[in-house]
Amino acid sequence: MGYLTATVQALYSTLRQSLKKPTTVEYPKVVRPRAARLRGSFALLKDAAGDENCIGCKKCEKICPSDVIALTTVKKPSPVTGKSRGYASDFTLNLQGCIICELCVQVCPADAIVMVREQERPAFSREDLVLTMDRLYRNGENAERLAWATASILAETQDPERTCLKK
Amino acid sequence: MALSTEPGLSAAIGGGSGSVSKSRDGQAASMPTRAFVPDPYLDLARYQADADLLTLSFGPQHPSTHGVFRAVLYLDGEIVVKAVPYVGYLHRGVEKLCEKLSYSNVTPILDKNDYVSPMCNEQAANLAFEKLLGIEVPLRAKFLRTLLAEMQRVASHLLWLGTFAIDLGGALGGGTSVFMYCFRERELILDLFEELTGCRFHYNTHCIGGNRHDIPAGWPKLVHETLGTIDARLDDYLGMLEHPIFVDRTRGIGTLDAELALELGLAGPLARASGIDHDLRRDAPYHIYDQLDVRVACESGGDCWSRYKVRLDEMRESIRLARLLVDNVPAGPISASKPLTNVTQFKITTGQTYVAIESPRGELGTWVIAGGKGTSPLRMKIRPPSLHALAAVPYLFPRYTLSDAVAILGSLDPIMGEADR
Amino acid sequence: MADLLANPWLRGLLQGALLITVMMTAVAWISWFERKFAGRVQSRLGPTMVGPSGLLQPLADALKMFQKQELIPSAADSLLFRLAPPLALFLALGGAAVLPITQGMLASDLDVGVLYVLAFSGLLAFPIWMAGWSSSNKYALLGGMRMVAQGISYEIPMVLAALVPVVVTGSLSLSDIVTYQATHHWLVLWPPGLGLIAFIIFFTMALAEGNRIPFDIPEAESELVAGPATEYTAIRFGLIASAEYVHSLITCAFASTLFLGGWDGPFLPPLCWILIKTVGLFVLITWLRWSLLRVRSDQLMALCWKYLVPLSLGILLLTGAFIQWVG
Repeated sequence: MGYLTATVQALYSTLRQSLKKPTTVEYPKVVRPRAARLRGSFALLKDAAGDENCIGCKKCEKICPSDVIALTTVKKPSPVTGKSRGYASDFTLNLQGCIICELCVQVCPADAIVMVREQERPAFSREDLVLTMDRLYRNGENAERLAWATASILAETQDPERTCLKK
Repeated sequence: MALSTEPGLSAAIGGGSGSVSKSRDGQAASMPTRAFVPDPYLDLARYQADADLLTLSFGPQHPSTHGVFRAVLYLDGEIVVKAVPYVGYLHRGVEKLCEKLSYSNVTPILDKNDYVSPMCNEQAANLAFEKLLGIEVPLRAKFLRTLLAEMQRVASHLLWLGTFAIDLGGALGGGTSVFMYCFRERELILDLFEELTGCRFHYNTHCIGGNRHDIPAGWPKLVHETLGTIDARLDDYLGMLEHPIFVDRTRGIGTLDAELALELGLAGPLARASGIDHDLRRDAPYHIYDQLDVRVACESGGDCWSRYKVRLDEMRESIRLARLLVDNVPAGPISASKPLTNVTQFKITTGQTYVAIESPRGELGTWVIAGGKGTSPLRMKIRPPSLHALAAVPYLFPRYTLSDAVAILGSLDPIMGEADR
Repeated sequence: MADLLANPWLRGLLQGALLITVMMTAVAWISWFERKFAGRVQSRLGPTMVGPSGLLQPLADALKMFQKQELIPSAADSLLFRLAPPLALFLALGGAAVLPITQGMLASDLDVGVLYVLAFSGLLAFPIWMAGWSSSNKYALLGGMRMVAQGISYEIPMVLAALVPVVVTGSLSLSDIVTYQATHHWLVLWPPGLGLIAFIIFFTMALAEGNRIPFDIPEAESELVAGPATEYTAIRFGLIASAEYVHSLITCAFASTLFLGGWDGPFLPPLCWILIKTVGLFVLITWLRWSLLRVRSDQLMALCWKYLVPLSLGILLLTGAFIQWVG
């Protein structure tokens, strides 16, 4: 008898659930809004004058836990200011092995590499997952897509000296 | 598998030359020392000669082995007479990898260990490093860590509840309904984590000395509301799950007594379900658990039902704690150390330590020996609660049917990423 | 035309073709309904992509099943392995021949219709067992053995419960049983109380017979991967799956014929009533499926042998007494 009443109760709870609005959405048609800090893909930034932020210091290459960043450095005069400084002549980030740990963003001394709020990272070929320098700079062009974190923001958040934080 | 306690081994672990003592030294004395060596490995040659045993390789590709666990089952009809567990199909050499990575880089790698509760992995490792470095974490970071651990516990137990229901109810039945409800609720928590850290799974939000991400505006309110919703919804569909069929399938199944649990080194919900009232959050507090009144759920049955009960009570307790914590996060810095700018920022030249935290699966310990150049651990050992839980398989499976074996394995809640490392 | 229909062979062939077409179409829509319903219960959307609200999803599935490569394990008993799925579908469809759809509209008015349906559905355990045995897969073997063990357990209470209407009406012919219900009482209400209990026993055992949750023990996915169907691929898998749907549908129609008055009902035409009752019972089965967990093999056997066999025997005796002294 207990079985029957419990079964009726189970039927009742599933019925109640079935009358609610479904939680899932039809993904390609409806895209859920995602968080501002969402880490998806990567971008390299240029400053307001159009000069590349990256100074080719290789800190990101060294800290990357899965060794997916490779860059070569050149020293050349800046096309904007004319002063000679370091640049990355070639920058590759292989998303196939990337674990999205945000450490490269964190250590960047020039706020050059940041994350993009890319939601659709899967690709049809492996080559599509290798971000070349061109693609990284192109990713950085749309400011709305960029994630919240840059090296300076992260550093400010973590700074132990900063005693009073705004909520 | 030698189950007799080897005094030499425990002495080696406990009596290390490190400057920092083991965090659970006080516990060791109170444990019973009775030699308890049950024999899970039935001598099949002496088993009834006329029995026609079926050898079944259960896993690693099987719907309900929770990943890639494999057990060779010897079945007499439907009854398991012997079970031999095999682990290691997901071995990735994480501990060895940690010896190559710098201290700051270990955290994102450890996320992948217990992939259902990555927050706890991060915390276990970072607590050990902080202990070696002598860093005192700021209060706000401690609150945040505690909060994240408790939210992660809710998420992890929700996933367990869903998969346990699938184990009992099949992928095409009522079990799936509960599974979907649990995932729906878990997604809410993951959304909150995404708001905070930018990732749903592999957060890398803890660092040596504190946390990397501060609480965004409006987040505490969201946490409070979401956890309230989950609490209410739990009541909603547990009425459906706690059907007499569920009770019949779990009560008295897979009984694990306290002595065996101690002998196998079980901790966490499994041990508490067997009547061992032990919770690191209360008994060896870390973070700010010493200021919290953690009500430890404890059952005495030791069967699947008790494990279910314990986890459910823990879930509710975690929801309560998290809601309490999120309203009281103090202002202040979230990290005691300077922001990371260099791979070799943290250097530990000597010393060793063992730090254990209460992960959703039990005692998650990290044993670090520092040395060498000082930029990366000389040796790192992770004590995964799931591996110890799987050690109970040869004791729990025999004399139950194959269906029960699936239920028992589900109730052990093993995460193979953690067990195999 | 009338001459052609007078030929009994041709007539039978036409009727059979019609029945099979109707049943298979119904199965397609019902599988769509089940998936949509499961989606709603589980806070999902269910099929949405193929056709409006995914209505053409079963068609797409069938096409997919036909296209897939068929694999037969080299160690399998080839003949039995190939034979089992069509046999399962044949036995499942066979029961439909004697079900009275409306008054006087049935393929064959057998004198022993009840026995015929019970025999066909009872035989369904054999192709499933054949599939499990011939696959040379241990999960499939365990599933097949569970099917046999379950079969001998659920058959007895089910037959005993189905005998209650037979005792009341005094006929094994399904059309007689429905006619009795149309003129007297629905047998779920008559004998009072006993009929309801007999119906519940019959319905519960029908769940076990159709391998539906909570009794889908032979193909317990979380334990036996897919039970006897583990090694099946392509359309043979589709045949096994559709056999189970066909069988569930026919059991629902059978239960509504035996206990719920078949085509009898007020206002609406008889065809509507049998459809409403059958589909209603199927909805209940589906609903139960997504609400309950699975019982264990030995628990089902304990339920059948320890409780339901004595209970249904007692009910049969009481019904006999009731007929003798009251009705």
